[in-house]
Amino acid sequence: MTTPLLEITNLHASIEGKQILNGVNLTIMPGEVHSIMGPNGSGKSTLASVIAGHEAYEVTEGSILFNGIDLLELEADQRACAGVFLAFQYPVEIPGVSTKFFLKAAVNAIRKYRGQEELDAMDFLDMVEEKAKSVSLNIDLLDRNVNEGFSGGEKKRAEVFQMAMLDPLLGVLDETDSGLDIDALKIVADGVNQLRTQDRGFVIITHYQRLLDFIVPDFVHVLKDGVIVKSGDKSLALELEEKGYAGIEACKSECSCA
Amino acid sequence: MITTAIDNSVFEKLHKTEAWMFTNVSALSKIDFACPSEVDVSVIATHDIAPENPFVVFVNGVFQEGCSRIADGISVNADTHGDIAARGDSLIPRGDSSSVSITGTHAVTVHVLQIVTGDVPVACFGNVIVHAAEGESISLAETHIALTDQNHVFMPCTEVVAEQNSNVTIVRSIRGSKEAYHLGSLHVAQHESSTVQTHTITLGGKCVRNEVYAYLDGEHCESNFDGMYMLGKDQLVDNHLRVEHNEPKGNSREFYKGVLDENAKSVFTGRIYVKEDAHQTDAKQTNQNIILCDDASCTARPQLEIYADDVLCTHGATTGEIDEEALLYLRSRGIPKDAARTLLIYAFLNESLDELTDDGFRTVLVDELLSNLPGGNFIRTLYL
Ligand SMILES: Nc1ncnc2c1ncn2[C@@H]1O[C@H](COP(=O)(O)OP(=O)(O)O)[C@@H](O)[C@H]1O
Ligand SMILES: [Mg+2]
Repeated sequence: MTTPLLEITNLHASIEGKQILNGVNLTIMPGEVHSIMGPNGSGKSTLASVIAGHEAYEVTEGSILFNGIDLLELEADQRACAGVFLAFQYPVEIPGVSTKFFLKAAVNAIRKYRGQEELDAMDFLDMVEEKAKSVSLNIDLLDRNVNEGFSGGEKKRAEVFQMAMLDPLLGVLDETDSGLDIDALKIVADGVNQLRTQDRGFVIITHYQRLLDFIVPDFVHVLKDGVIVKSGDKSLALELEEKGYAGIEACKSECSCA
Repeated sequence: MITTAIDNSVFEKLHKTEAWMFTNVSALSKIDFACPSEVDVSVIATHDIAPENPFVVFVNGVFQEGCSRIADGISVNADTHGDIAARGDSLIPRGDSSSVSITGTHAVTVHVLQIVTGDVPVACFGNVIVHAAEGESISLAETHIALTDQNHVFMPCTEVVAEQNSNVTIVRSIRGSKEAYHLGSLHVAQHESSTVQTHTITLGGKCVRNEVYAYLDGEHCESNFDGMYMLGKDQLVDNHLRVEHNEPKGNSREFYKGVLDENAKSVFTGRIYVKEDAHQTDAKQTNQNIILCDDASCTARPQLEIYADDVLCTHGATTGEIDEEALLYLRSRGIPKDAARTLLIYAFLNESLDELTDDGFRTVLVDELLSNLPGGNFIRTLYL
């Protein structure tokens, strides 16, 4: 039997004493794309942050296995090296740190961890050029400080570009579509689709089903009050669009939550 | 050989004055200072970082002609001091010492090395007088190093006269041994449309006082007085500036950034004085600190003394910790925690170099910063 890429079991998590996740179960097999939808404040970003290893969140119960290893034992940077990537809902601006500088540090830290040779400046710049093209990212942006002076859309595109650079096994995209017009949305979706392989898995967190027209998910889950209340295939996203999240509540008792 | 011993009683009560209220050097009043007549000059070669450039060497305040590389325009002064140092109200003692004068346009940076060394505590001076005549450009890199773990007190004084349309850049870097006191001063007089940039980088010493006195005596002067510091265990830095706008349309910036660890302390006093009729003065001072450890502390005192209308004077001081969100972002991309912290500290300090127009200087300073930053070699691997 194949080992799941990600296996979240009965995950409870809190921040500053406030309980946010109340028993999340989610299994992702290699190659699968799962979408998580849900109203504002339902805990989507919290789930993403807990997977990425944000230290402000406390896991109070449950487990996360990544490729069979205990993810909760690893620090944030070790998780990234092991192959977890989070495209942040709100990418952080870092004054004084040039994007290229930062990316070279990241790429080589990860390569080192994986026993690969570190890239020299030439190979690194070739890679930057190639990956930037894949998400139509203006390469001049990369001479700026990390996310500084980037428009909303540029920040999102830069996150997907970083994902392409870092070559993860699991990509978690937290509302990477919000604030994008339809053209930018297609570009971002296309960038993600290029990364879809039989080994790599994705968690696509979104509010809108329109992204899922372009990144077609294998499964759709609805997160509400920190638990997954409904799971289905991509048609669930359409149903949500039609009925809204309120419409989902009615079926809560009768659905089997993955 | 200059053997004047210093009257060390002056140190006893300095901290009772307003200008020194946060910096107590009274311990110096109890030390018997010497002024060794024999000095070992064999260490100089290792600090000769720019062998192609003019090189002015002082050891314990005494000019070392044999080790220096003198160019046209560099000569030994008969008088210890010029006129500028006397203008301000600096309380740092002044004494006899060698004094070197630098004039004329220099295509390359003049490197001034001042070393304090000896097996007993040494008190010394070491003076430089820079005179940029109309339209001339002079740049100076000063390195001040205390080599031995003694309570040396080192009081180097640099005076600058920048005449009309001249351009002077001075980078002063201070690396003292853990027990050394550095009480240094820069005195700057600017004439019309001159540009002066100074950058003081403090990376060592038990107690470092950096005074800058600037007099913008002509219209349209451009001035940057910047600095950075990175201090650890029980170290203190006191950056003390007074910028006088005496004529209209001057533009001055004070920008100091520092990182403090393990009980280190920073004091910043920036006084901007704007004389009546010095209209359209634009003066700004900023002091930003990152504190790595709870017992480190900093005090910032912006002081504005303004007698003209139509001026723009601003000041800002911040103290914070390393930005946890930025740290997480870097780590979430695979960069280990220590390296991520190093990168953020480097980025923070590096910003104080933003205004420096001379790329060569910037390179020297960045290099110095990286050599002193724990884990700084990692940053070097990122250059493209
Ligand atoms: N740092 C924090 N401190 C306190 N509460 C927080 C913090 N971050 C998020 N929350 C709360 O956790 C809940 C879930 O937030 P979040 O995971 O961001 O939801 P979503 O991404 O689904 O909109 C919200 O009620 C939010 O207010
Ligand atoms: Mg969210």
